[in-house]
Amino acid sequence: MTPLRWSSRLSRRELLQRGARVAGAGLLAPLWPTIAATGEIGRAYPDELLSIEAYTKGRIKTGDFITADNVEHVKDLLEPAKYHHVARMGRRLKVVPTTTDWMKLGPWEYLEATLRHQGQARFDDQGNVVTADGQPWIGGHPFPGSGDALELFAGLTLSWGRHDANLFAIRESNVAAGGNVDYRYDLVWAELSPVGRLVLEPRPYWTKHADKLRFNTVVYTAPESERGASYLNIWPYDQNEFPELYGYVPHFRRVRQFPTNQRFEPLVAGSALYLSDAWAAGDPLHTWGNYKVIGRQPLLAGVSGGWHPEHENWEHPVQGGPKNESFFDSVVEMVPETIICEAEPTGFTRAPVSKKRVWFDARNWMPVAMVTYDRQGLEFRSFDGCYSLYEKDGQRFMNGAHPYWSWAYVHAYEFQTGRITRLEQVRELSGGHKTSVNDESIYDKYLTHVALQRLGRV
Amino acid sequence: MNDFHVRQHLLKSGALAVGLGLSVPASAGLFEDMDVSFGGFVRAEMAARTTALENPNNQGGNYFNDRSVGRTAFVPPALLPVVGGSDGLLQVLVPGTELGEWGSVVLPLFGDNIRRGDEIVSVDNDFNYTVLRAEGEVGIRFSSELRLIARVRAVYDPTFYDEWDARSVEQFNNGIEGGEDFDERLYTRSPNYFDYIVAGGNTPNPLEWTGRDYQVYFPALVLEYNTGDFNFRIGNQQIAWGQSIFFRVFDLPNGLDLRRHSILDRALEEFSDKRVPMLSARLSYQMTDNILLDSYVGKFQPTVLGNPNTPYNIIPVQFTVQDRYEQGGYDDELVYGLRLKADYGQWGWQAAASRRYGPEGVYRWTKSGVNKQLTGPLGSLVNVLYAAKVPAGDGGFCNGGAFDATLCRRYADSGEALANSPFEASPGGVYSADEWFRYAAEVRLDGITGLNASITDFDGSQDVYATPVENARQAAAQLNTFFIAANDSLRGHIEREYFQENVFALGVSYVNESDNDFLNQLIFNIEAQYTPERTFTNITLGQEYIRQDEYTVSLVIDKWHRFFAEFPGTYIVFQALTKNRSDLVGRHLSGYGGKPLNELEPTATRATTGKNDNANYVVFGFLQPFPNKIWEIEFATLFDPEGGIFAQPGVRWNPGKGVTVEGFYNYINGELWGNPNDNLLSTLDFAEEFTLRLTYQF
Repeated sequence: MTPLRWSSRLSRRELLQRGARVAGAGLLAPLWPTIAATGEIGRAYPDELLSIEAYTKGRIKTGDFITADNVEHVKDLLEPAKYHHVARMGRRLKVVPTTTDWMKLGPWEYLEATLRHQGQARFDDQGNVVTADGQPWIGGHPFPGSGDALELFAGLTLSWGRHDANLFAIRESNVAAGGNVDYRYDLVWAELSPVGRLVLEPRPYWTKHADKLRFNTVVYTAPESERGASYLNIWPYDQNEFPELYGYVPHFRRVRQFPTNQRFEPLVAGSALYLSDAWAAGDPLHTWGNYKVIGRQPLLAGVSGGWHPEHENWEHPVQGGPKNESFFDSVVEMVPETIICEAEPTGFTRAPVSKKRVWFDARNWMPVAMVTYDRQGLEFRSFDGCYSLYEKDGQRFMNGAHPYWSWAYVHAYEFQTGRITRLEQVRELSGGHKTSVNDESIYDKYLTHVALQRLGRV
Repeated sequence: MNDFHVRQHLLKSGALAVGLGLSVPASAGLFEDMDVSFGGFVRAEMAARTTALENPNNQGGNYFNDRSVGRTAFVPPALLPVVGGSDGLLQVLVPGTELGEWGSVVLPLFGDNIRRGDEIVSVDNDFNYTVLRAEGEVGIRFSSELRLIARVRAVYDPTFYDEWDARSVEQFNNGIEGGEDFDERLYTRSPNYFDYIVAGGNTPNPLEWTGRDYQVYFPALVLEYNTGDFNFRIGNQQIAWGQSIFFRVFDLPNGLDLRRHSILDRALEEFSDKRVPMLSARLSYQMTDNILLDSYVGKFQPTVLGNPNTPYNIIPVQFTVQDRYEQGGYDDELVYGLRLKADYGQWGWQAAASRRYGPEGVYRWTKSGVNKQLTGPLGSLVNVLYAAKVPAGDGGFCNGGAFDATLCRRYADSGEALANSPFEASPGGVYSADEWFRYAAEVRLDGITGLNASITDFDGSQDVYATPVENARQAAAQLNTFFIAANDSLRGHIEREYFQENVFALGVSYVNESDNDFLNQLIFNIEAQYTPERTFTNITLGQEYIRQDEYTVSLVIDKWHRFFAEFPGTYIVFQALTKNRSDLVGRHLSGYGGKPLNELEPTATRATTGKNDNANYVVFGFLQPFPNKIWEIEFATLFDPEGGIFAQPGVRWNPGKGVTVEGFYNYINGELWGNPNDNLLSTLDFAEEFTLRLTYQF
């Protein structure tokens, strides 16, 4: 057992209250300078914020499961949906050790660039993130260590997956309130950044597309009713503008341009996911507003250990809910500090949500949970997932010289209907769609009009 | 979709390589990325009729089945020089009588009252359409560049219909015959729902197997190769172009298959299962990041229409159609085209050119080839008179340039003469002048000039004393006389041909951005098509087709708009289209405005008024998903400002587990105002129905 440091002088209530008040992160030492100097997180926080055992005074230990029987001990460490899932719906959360090696909290190249480029970012007159000389951002997080909500969302919007290019092969299952999986989909999510590039040549800009932020395609490959439906979003760099949206609708057998400003619509039947939900920042930055930090807190969240190579296609076992298939087998670790931010959809008339609340991990500024609220202010939908280094028990999925880092699974939950959408990143989907990273060929394969035409139903 | 990855399992054992007849070792690098996927669905579809009006284009729904119509026979003007003339017998008996036109001299004793239903049984159906459909698609991916896609569609119709069977008229004048190019499967039995049979008896759609009640074919069987910016597909395939929905301005490559449910499926599905697949090669090339080039070359396949007496048939069954697709050599013809599409932020443009054969085809009178004499009292009289004529070629005055059809004959008897005319003396044809004019108007032809074309273009018609007329009264007199002489009715024979055309199209799009929420993200598209010297069916069905330049312009505006916080956004589309020469289905506008005989002035020299302006159409549609898209309601309407509307409200339910239930109602009214024959929709007035579809996908 790790010797406790400092914590005996603080009660849990004091710890949470202090965490909520202290800006700048880190309780023992300022977080970002500590990370920048050592790459270690442990020196910035007391044991109570790094160890579930310390926090619960031994009632729950690393390796234990959080269930309805013991969830009250960690109720303050769970956002409302996850607490509800455990307390009321039979979900179990396995506790894994807290990640203290900062370089395991993101892609190596991204984190390295964050260190290298710190201090060079600013907002221009249009509110876009630029370098000191006004050029598009050059890669890594632009505002490391920030405690500002707009800067946190700006960094997230600039790079969703934190790689230059991602191809996610995804299995989606939609679970009704009664626990039945009533809709299943296979889909491919492709994203590629023409700016802020750290691996793909040319760097940092693909010059002819330096006016764009990203290319993003979602294409459904199964079932038959949706197969070949695809949507290509081309994001301008200017975060005051909506993306261009082109779609291949199977019934039309061709690529058409579609209006893009309605982003709170499920793409397929039974789904609880909207385009707006992507990465908790699915819309251009300035189509939302009133960004603000409302607090800080430690949180139990999925930050590591989500990859499941035991299944040849990385698919996860399921558990919980009325039919025992509402949730993936879930792991959580003590995230010593999250920054709770809120934003409002100021650019969307009659949006079904009045605001979103996002918990950013103060260590790497990635979202670890999101809850949206309806127009009456009631909890509407929630999102929790798990990131992972794709390295486990001697098995690895590589990104160049380093193990791949990415998300592994996500739950989207509708408070008011009980419907759950489960997404998991898998190795491969039928049709030869394979998860890949920083593969420049995904542009030709997924992110052009001719690609949409090819992917569409013949 | 039940997907199964065979790469690891089958390739390791070599089973797939053997199964595919491949000699490549299982571990060969070429196929190491091999992947097989399969998916499909089964669907029950039915459309229940909501109107008492049967399809009037079919025997069982003919307007005149229940009507008794008086017919009067007249002495043909061609005979009047014999019995009449300035010195003839009638002039002596009735001085001053105008004897040189049809309707002048009644043939007493031969007139009658005809009720079509005395020969033709009417039908009464509850359903227009009941089919079981299964579709499956197999994708075999050999490598990241190469894959084979095979999509098969099978449709079975249990034919739970009250059908009209042509064998029911066999006792009348030996029933319906057809000539050497005639196919019994289409005209002498119960309806054939799926065979597409052209003159000569072949079924020319490749990779299609059909029978009376089933259809199996490959909408897609393509080998695809892609590398970088190139994508190449070769095989049987459909190609769709353009931003307009339903309006085919850029959608040039394929004809439409109007068997099955015609154009009456969900409007927002557009022509997804309607385009006739074509053996073709398609090359798509992303020239730049903004410009896409798309091109094709293929074997010409025409539009396929519903067969005679099938529920959505649009060609009156009084006609026998001889489709010259093979005999004319059109089945060997190539069509090809090119499209460039570019997108620059808010703006986009596209341009296309195609050299093709008009897939709808054009029609004209053709020799019936049916050697069947006129019959009955009047027919026998005509036969006697005909036999009394001097055969041509016997020397004397019947040789040479000044052939006199009154005194000379070219053929052995009236049967041979009719075989060389576009008519056949058989039941199931036109029984009265009233029927002739009513149907001519409904299919946008001219009943007067059409009659003349059937005479002047065919010496067989002239040989049996038919002569051109000047007005409606004369036309009616001649028509009724010949219908009586046929002792029943006359069936008309027309042929379908195809003509090459060059089609050019241009389009521009603009995405509007505005602070006004409703105006924001409105997408405007204008598409224009120009075809010089397009060939149209002559409204006379004469041998000379109409050739004119045609343009088509469409405006499309669509957007998503959120009306309610509780519901997802509504997809809204508005479209307008104008055409200067033909209507939406290719009928020349000069054939519009036709009237039934009783509404025509007896002295009218034309039975149609034609359209003075363009044909214009307006479409409005929306799709409103409910939360989670489990329910969706939709609405689409096609409006013809001349007095017709087609409205389709519908609902779609996705309960999950692969099940989808869809219901939609087709409301069609072609009589909102004015002459119904001035608008497009009156043609489909009979097809009001409610459609239910139950799908299970696997």
